[in-house]
Amino acid sequence: MVNRKLVKFLSFRYIILATILIVLAGSLVLLPKYEQQEGISPEELLSLAISPERYITTDELADRIINQDPSLLLIDVRDESDFKKYSLPNAFNIPLKNILNADSESYLNQDAFDVILFSNDNFHSDQAWLLCNRLNYKNLRVLKGGISNWFNTIINPKKPTENMASNAFELYTFRKAASIYFGVAYPQKIIKKPVIKKYVTKTPTAPTEVQKKVIPKKKKKKMPIEGGC
Amino acid sequence: MGPLIPNELISFEWSSIIAIIIGIFFGFILEASGFSSSRKLAGVFYGYDFAVLKVFFTAAIVSLIGLLYMDYLGYMDMSSLYVHPTYLWGAIIGGAIMGIGFVAGGFCPGTSLSAVAIGKIDAIVNVIGIMVGVFIFSELYPLFEPIYNGYFEGNITLVDSLGVNQYWFVFILTVVAIVMFAATDMIRKRVKKVFY
Repeated sequence: MVNRKLVKFLSFRYIILATILIVLAGSLVLLPKYEQQEGISPEELLSLAISPERYITTDELADRIINQDPSLLLIDVRDESDFKKYSLPNAFNIPLKNILNADSESYLNQDAFDVILFSNDNFHSDQAWLLCNRLNYKNLRVLKGGISNWFNTIINPKKPTENMASNAFELYTFRKAASIYFGVAYPQKIIKKPVIKKYVTKTPTAPTEVQKKVIPKKKKKKMPIEGGC
Repeated sequence: MGPLIPNELISFEWSSIIAIIIGIFFGFILEASGFSSSRKLAGVFYGYDFAVLKVFFTAAIVSLIGLLYMDYLGYMDMSSLYVHPTYLWGAIIGGAIMGIGFVAGGFCPGTSLSAVAIGKIDAIVNVIGIMVGVFIFSELYPLFEPIYNGYFEGNITLVDSLGVNQYWFVFILTVVAIVMFAATDMIRKRVKKVFY
């Protein structure tokens, strides 16, 4: 037996299907729009934000500057007045409030350089890092401790006390040599000539105080020969 | 959540297997809906059968609306979908040649294969013709290369190049499609019936 109602209903099937399509497409237009999340997902951002991987230490940075690493791009996120007073060599100034400007994007959004963000502490540079990282910019690092830590470690390193481990002394000599590279003049270096003349006959240990202006280089470990044909 | 393979919900190695399964179903449905008949396909050009136009246009609209809803609800990230690169003049010239082949042979490449599967002789000739065309193209590739690789417009979509709101675009496209379906129905009623 034929269900007449169903037959009558099905004779309109194309009209019904067409209306369903139009209603669906039309409600897409009418749907309330919300701001679509730009850049990476919140979960990913959070996991990157709690990871300390973004930090670069002042020693590592000094080493890379001294070795004239061409892939380094230093960006100072402090105000222009602070930047004019003191900054790292060859740094660009992009104040934190300008970080999302169209002009600064070409510096930050690229993959040719390692961008190193720094400020007085790592507080503002962390904020800059977060803003840029959310937009999925690559190769962003933050200078741990910022300029103040740079001052305390590289420019004015603390002399280790006698009971400290030997690597503390190695670090100290590295930092001191680096500070000379960055233009710090030590008093014993300036008056070294008279000092040597006086003590040369009495104590032969005196020349240890002489600071040679050497470019510190980290010793490269010899790689063991692997495999071969 | 989606797309499933780029987000590694399904591992990359499965993609070929999934493609084969979808291909089998696609071929089966093409054959079942009569698309392995060259007369039905050529009907679009002579005005006695618009099934091809209706089917492919409906498929495009349904998937478009579905994708936009899934994107809106957060089940699918539209930005990570593959967008086919546009080589403008290559596409225009290639499309024209394909259209001539379509109306002359009565098959598009997909339907010709499904017609070969049910043993149609004209489809076998058509596929041999495709092979000859592929051979000629690859032999003369240095000649065609500037068109083939030139006029590159990037991975753009219609929404990008027209600069319109995508929801309005889809809505207008849907209305256009349904008006077109109604118009083609009217044309089909006026054209002399062809039995095939």
